[in-house]
Amino acid sequence: MNPPTTLHTWRFEAIGTAWEIQTSALLGAETRAEVAALIADFDTTWSRFRPDSLVARLARGEGSVPVPRDAADMLAAYAALSDATGGAVNPLVGGALERLGYGPGYRLTAQQAAPAPSGWRQIVSWDAGRLALRTPATLDVGALGKGRLVDLVIALVASNAPGDIVVDASGDLAVRGAPVRIGLEHPYDPARAIGVVTIADAALSASATNRRAWGDGLHHVIDARTGEPVRTVVATWAIAQSSVHDAAMRADAIATALFFDGGPRLAHEWGIEWVRMLADGRVEYSPGSTAELFSGASVE
Amino acid sequence: MIRTAAPRSLRSTPVRPGAALAGVAGILVLAGCGASPAGGAADTADGGSSAAYTDGTYTAEGSYQTPESIETIEVTVTLAEGVIEDVEVVGNPTKPESEEYQGRFIGGISDEVVGKSIDEINVSRVAGSSLTSGGFNEAIEQIKTDAAA
Repeated sequence: MNPPTTLHTWRFEAIGTAWEIQTSALLGAETRAEVAALIADFDTTWSRFRPDSLVARLARGEGSVPVPRDAADMLAAYAALSDATGGAVNPLVGGALERLGYGPGYRLTAQQAAPAPSGWRQIVSWDAGRLALRTPATLDVGALGKGRLVDLVIALVASNAPGDIVVDASGDLAVRGAPVRIGLEHPYDPARAIGVVTIADAALSASATNRRAWGDGLHHVIDARTGEPVRTVVATWAIAQSSVHDAAMRADAIATALFFDGGPRLAHEWGIEWVRMLADGRVEYSPGSTAELFSGASVE
Repeated sequence: MIRTAAPRSLRSTPVRPGAALAGVAGILVLAGCGASPAGGAADTADGGSSAAYTDGTYTAEGSYQTPESIETIEVTVTLAEGVIEDVEVVGNPTKPESEEYQGRFIGGISDEVVGKSIDEINVSRVAGSSLTSGGFNEAIEQIKTDAAA
């Protein structure tokens, strides 16, 4: 089902990936500028890849900074993720990713893997108006940051444009209004889909180990306890209805948690539907999953 | 994801660009840029930096550690004209969760999913991992160039 021709499409690149915003009402130049400024502000705060960002300043040892708007919600969600996965998800994983080569300048050559600092909640605090690190470390909100940004963007767009909206930040998307039929990309072959799902008034986040990868099993989803890339699960999809608070952020968080034990339980607690593909090609799904899967029997 | 079984100690040596293509993940990710014959120890020893892009069928035993166990699987990859034509994985790389856990939090599991061509399924968009930016792609191109040299 192709979108009706009345939808207006706006494409751009930001925070290192492709964005597409579709609206039934035309977005004016002023709204576009507001969206661009919102994304730029988020990037300037949270990007590990720019030396002028707030997290870069904290990594260099600037002990505390005024707490950014999104810190409390995101770090509270990290606390839930960390608890659910036995510490596999940890917002101080930035240094471990940099060791594997995924940091500023995209060195992409690995040093020996090293775990992220354990006990991150003794190191990071975000109360009393300050975001503080007891010891210098690299904060990484990659497990849910893009979902958070999608929540912010769709809220801003919705306040300016009535009607149907799709915000697709490549891997994290949110839909308001008319249902959208979405293919679940095969992580081993981007020309194929392992299934389809239709969502309306919901957010869908996908994560896979195939693109942000640079060889020898090195990719961007790592287990903070070892600093090593994950291997058992190769792709995940999570769907949060808009009634779920911070839907896109939570979908993004669950898409990360599903790479680890404990992910399905947290998805259950948060009321999030999901699908995940294991390294051997089998696909697990949540109770009540509405995705249609193209399993072995239905190969064309 | 799945790597030719190498002693843990070997993993501590710096990763050379050639070796970077030896793992199955590398093959899958860099489809079309070649792979080294995955023949156990020889694979990790020579780093596979020569003979990239050679067509054929490659098999590797993979093993990795989960929190509770060490899992092994066998992966066979067929390359034709430098592109992955087939991937076959034999084994069961996931530890069984408890029945109670499965029933409450996991609805079910399918057989291996091969999928359908995106052209055939009539979708308005596709969700997978994030597309990458110019900087990342340039770095990957550099690795591929180094690996093919």
